[in-house]
Amino acid sequence: MSTRRAPSRLTGYYFGLIALLYLPIAILFLFSINANTTLSFPMRGLTLGWYKNLLESGAVLRAARNSLVVAAGSSAVATALGTMVALLIARYQFRAKGLLVTLAVLPLIVPFVVLAVALLILFSALHVDRSLWTIGIGHTVVALPYTLLIVVARLAGFDPNLEEAAMDLGANYPTTLRRIVLPIIAPAMVSAWLTAFTVSFDEFALALFLAGTEPTFPVYLFSQLRFANRLPIMIALAVLLMIGTLTLVFIAERVRRVE
Amino acid sequence: MIRALRLSTRTSGLMLILALVATACGGAAATPTQAPPTAVPPTEVPAAEMTGSLTVLDWAGYDAPDFWVDFKNTYPKVTVNFEIGASDADIYTRMKAGDQADVFHPYTGYLQFYVDEGLVEEIDTSKLTNWDKVPDHFKAIGQINGKQYFVPWDWGFTSVLYRTDKVPEGVDSWAALLDPRFEGHVSMWDDGPGAVTVSSYINGWDETKITPEQLAMIKEEWIKQRDVNLFYWAGQQEMEAGMASGDIWVAYAWQGSYAVLLGQGVPVAYANPKEGRNSWVGVYGIRKGTQNYDLALKFLDAKLAAATGNNVVNLFYYGHSNQDVMNGITDATLKQAFSIDDPTILQKTNFTPNLTAEQLDAWTAMWAEVKAAP
Amino acid sequence: MLDRRATFWVLYLPPLLWLGAFFVVPLILMAAFSFRADMRGEVLQWWTPTLKQYAGLFAAGSYWRLLGISAFMALIVALISTALAYPIAYFLAFRAGRRAGFYLVLLLVPFWTSYLLRVMAWKFMLGSNGVINSFLMYTGLIHEPLTALLYNRNAVVLTLIYVWIPFVALPIFAALQRIDLALFEAASDLGATPFRRFWRVTFPLSLPGVFAAFFMVFIPTVGEYVTPLLVGGSRGSMYGNIVQDFFTKAANWPLGSALSMIMLIATLALVALAARIVDLRRLIE
Repeated sequence: MSTRRAPSRLTGYYFGLIALLYLPIAILFLFSINANTTLSFPMRGLTLGWYKNLLESGAVLRAARNSLVVAAGSSAVATALGTMVALLIARYQFRAKGLLVTLAVLPLIVPFVVLAVALLILFSALHVDRSLWTIGIGHTVVALPYTLLIVVARLAGFDPNLEEAAMDLGANYPTTLRRIVLPIIAPAMVSAWLTAFTVSFDEFALALFLAGTEPTFPVYLFSQLRFANRLPIMIALAVLLMIGTLTLVFIAERVRRVE
Repeated sequence: MIRALRLSTRTSGLMLILALVATACGGAAATPTQAPPTAVPPTEVPAAEMTGSLTVLDWAGYDAPDFWVDFKNTYPKVTVNFEIGASDADIYTRMKAGDQADVFHPYTGYLQFYVDEGLVEEIDTSKLTNWDKVPDHFKAIGQINGKQYFVPWDWGFTSVLYRTDKVPEGVDSWAALLDPRFEGHVSMWDDGPGAVTVSSYINGWDETKITPEQLAMIKEEWIKQRDVNLFYWAGQQEMEAGMASGDIWVAYAWQGSYAVLLGQGVPVAYANPKEGRNSWVGVYGIRKGTQNYDLALKFLDAKLAAATGNNVVNLFYYGHSNQDVMNGITDATLKQAFSIDDPTILQKTNFTPNLTAEQLDAWTAMWAEVKAAP
Repeated sequence: MLDRRATFWVLYLPPLLWLGAFFVVPLILMAAFSFRADMRGEVLQWWTPTLKQYAGLFAAGSYWRLLGISAFMALIVALISTALAYPIAYFLAFRAGRRAGFYLVLLLVPFWTSYLLRVMAWKFMLGSNGVINSFLMYTGLIHEPLTALLYNRNAVVLTLIYVWIPFVALPIFAALQRIDLALFEAASDLGATPFRRFWRVTFPLSLPGVFAAFFMVFIPTVGEYVTPLLVGGSRGSMYGNIVQDFFTKAANWPLGSALSMIMLIATLALVALAARIVDLRRLIE
C-alpha cells in the first residue's frame, strides 16, 4: 500500500517546492511589516503601521470593493449561463449543439489581450463608456468555459431516469429541472461560481483595457506599483485578502466535512 | 436528505440573487458619469451656491484636489468627476471614441489631432480672468490654425539626467543616452516620438520633416541602443527608483525627476546638452459639444489661479503657465531645476512640435519594431 | 412536449445572445478594423477594406520573429512548469493520503495572492539590491551584484514558471486521482517494478491531465504582456506587449487589430494541431 511508505524523496520534493513557492510570498509579507519603504537585509525595523494605513486608505479599499462587486456579478452571470449551456449539452440534441459548445469554450483559447482589444473596440464603437460594467462583461466571457465545464462534468454522471420518474409522476419539464436537477447540481454550481469569482477577482489583462473611472484592485495596484511608498499598503491588503481566502477555504472544508 | 438538498438550492439561489443585487448597487454607484449633465444655471448665481457637475479626463495624480483647489474653494457645490487616461494616445483614443468628459488634458505634440477631427471647442478667453497672467509664448502654444483652442497649464523640460558620481565627466549631449560606455545603466522613456525627437537632435535633423530614410536610420540607432538600455520607463517613479539605487546612471527625464532626486539627496545633475533641451507644455481643452461649456471655462480659469499653480510647482516640480507663480518661486532646488536664474535657457530650448497623424503612425510603428527586433 | 421545447429556448437564447454580442461581434469588429487604413473619422463608419496593415506587417519581419519567440517562451514555460508540477500532483494523489486536501490548499495559497504582487516579489528577489544578490554578497560569494538576473527574457520565463506551477498541478492531480488502484495491483501481480508500473500504467493514464495542464499554461502565456512589462526590460518584450502598445500608446487600432488577428489565427492553428494529437473532446467528457 503506497500510503504506508516512509516519507520518500517525493515528500521531500513537495516540501522543497512549497518552500520555493512561498519564498516570494514571505518576502511580500516581510515587506508589509517593514518599517521602511525599501526592503533591505538585514531588516531595519518592524511595524504594523501599514495595516493601519490600509484601513484609512479609501482608494485602496474602494478598489478592493470594486473587485468584489465585479467578481460577484460576473461570476453569477457566468454560472447562470454556463449552467444553461451545460443543461443543453446534457439533455438536448439539436443541430447547432456543436457550434454552441465550441463557441462557449472558445474564450479559453483566445488570448486575453485579443479579447480585451476586441471588447474595447465594441464598447467604443457603441459609445459605451468604460466602467465596472464593461470589465464585468469581459469577465463573464472569460469565466464561461470554466463554469460550463464544471457543471457539465457533474451532469454527465447524473442519471436521467430521475427526471423521467418525476415527469411520469406528472411534473412538467421546467418544474423537473427546478426541483430535481438543480438541487443535485447545486454543489457543482457553487463550485463553478467560486471558480468564476476567483478568475474575475485577480484578473488584470482584461480589466486594464476595460476600466473606466473606477479601478478594480489589480488595476489600481498596477497604477500604484510605481510609487514605492504606496507599495507596502497594497501588499498589506493582499496579505489580508490571502488570509481571508484561507479562512473561507478552511470554513468551507469544515462545513463540507460536517455534511 | 431531501431537506438538506432543498436548503442548498435555496442558499445557492440566495447567493446568486445577492450577487446580482450587489452588482446592481455597485454598478449604480460606479457609473456617476452616465448621469445626464445638469443644466448650468446662469452666471448670476453666486459662485458659492452654484451647483452642477463636470467630468475631467486627466492623468493619474492630477485628480488630487491640490491641483484644482481654486475651483474647489470657489465653487464648493460643483461635483468634479475624474477619468484617468494613461497616455496622450490613450486620451486621444478615448476622446475619439466618444468619451463624454467635458475637459481633457493633452500635451504638445498631440494637439493638432483634436482640432483636425473637430473634438475641441474654441476657448472664449475674454471669460478667463487669469488669462493676462499667461505669457504670450504659452498662449501661442494653445493656438492652432490661429484660434485659441487650448489653455496652457503645466510645462517643463526634457533632458538627460545623470548621476554625478557615476559620470564624473558630465553629460553634454543627448548622445549620452546611446553611449556604449554606460552599458546596462541607461533608461529611456518608452515612447516612439520621444526617441525620434532625441535622434533628430543628435543628428541635426528637422523634427518636422523626418524622411523615411532618416526614420529607418533612427530605428537602427535605437535597436543598437537596446544593448546599453536597462529598461524603458513608462512612469517617472520607475526611473527615479533606478537612479536612486544606482542601477541607472543616465536617463531621459523630465525636470520633475531631477527635483525629486535632489530632494532625496541623490547626487544628480540635469544636463544642458549642446543640442538644446526639449520643452513640452500641457494644456486643457474643452470637448466639442459639451453641455457644460461655461462651467468648464470656469474650471480652466481656476486652473490658472495662484494656489493651484503653486501646488503644481511645489508638489509635482512642474512649471505653471501663470507667470506670477513662476516669479514667486524661492526654493533653491526648484530654481535650479527650472534654470530660473538662466534667462537664456528658453533660447536653447526646442519646443515639441505637433505631430501629424502620419507621423504618429510611422513613429510609433518604428518604436514597436525596435522592441520586436531580435 | 411543449414545455420541453419552451425550456429549450429559455436555455438556448440567453447564452447564445450573450456570447454573440460580447464574444463573436467584438472579434468580427476587430477583424474588420484590421482592414482599415487609418483612424481618421468616426470610430464606427464605413471604410473601404484595405490590406495595407497586413502588407506592412508582412514586410516587417520582426513581428513574426517576436511571435515565434513568444510562442517559444510559452513552450518553455509550459514544459518546465508541467514537468515540475507532475511530481507534486503525484505526491498529492498517492502519497498524501488523507491530508491531500490540506496539502492541495497549501499549494494553491500562493496562487490566491495577487498575480501582480507575485511578479513584483520576483522583481525584489532578482534586482541588483534584491534578496538573491544581497544574500550572495553577504555570504561573500560575489562582490558585485549580478545584473543578469533581471530585465531580460530569462527573468520573464522564470517568473512565469513560478506563477503557473500551483495551477498546473491541478489537472494532472485530477487525472491521477481517477486511476483505478486495482490496475496497480494487477501490474504488481504481473511482476512490474515500481518504475515500470509508473511508466507503463500511471503515466499514460495521466496523459490527458498532462496535456490539459500543458495547454492551460501554453495558450495564455503566448499572449502574456504583464510579466514582460514588469521584469522583461528592453529585450524581454513579448508579442502581447506590442499589441498593447498599439492600442494604448499609438492609437493605431487598425494595425493593433491586424496584429491581434495574426495572434488569434496562430493560436487557433496551434490548438487545432494539438487537437489532432489529443482528442480534446474526450477531455471534456
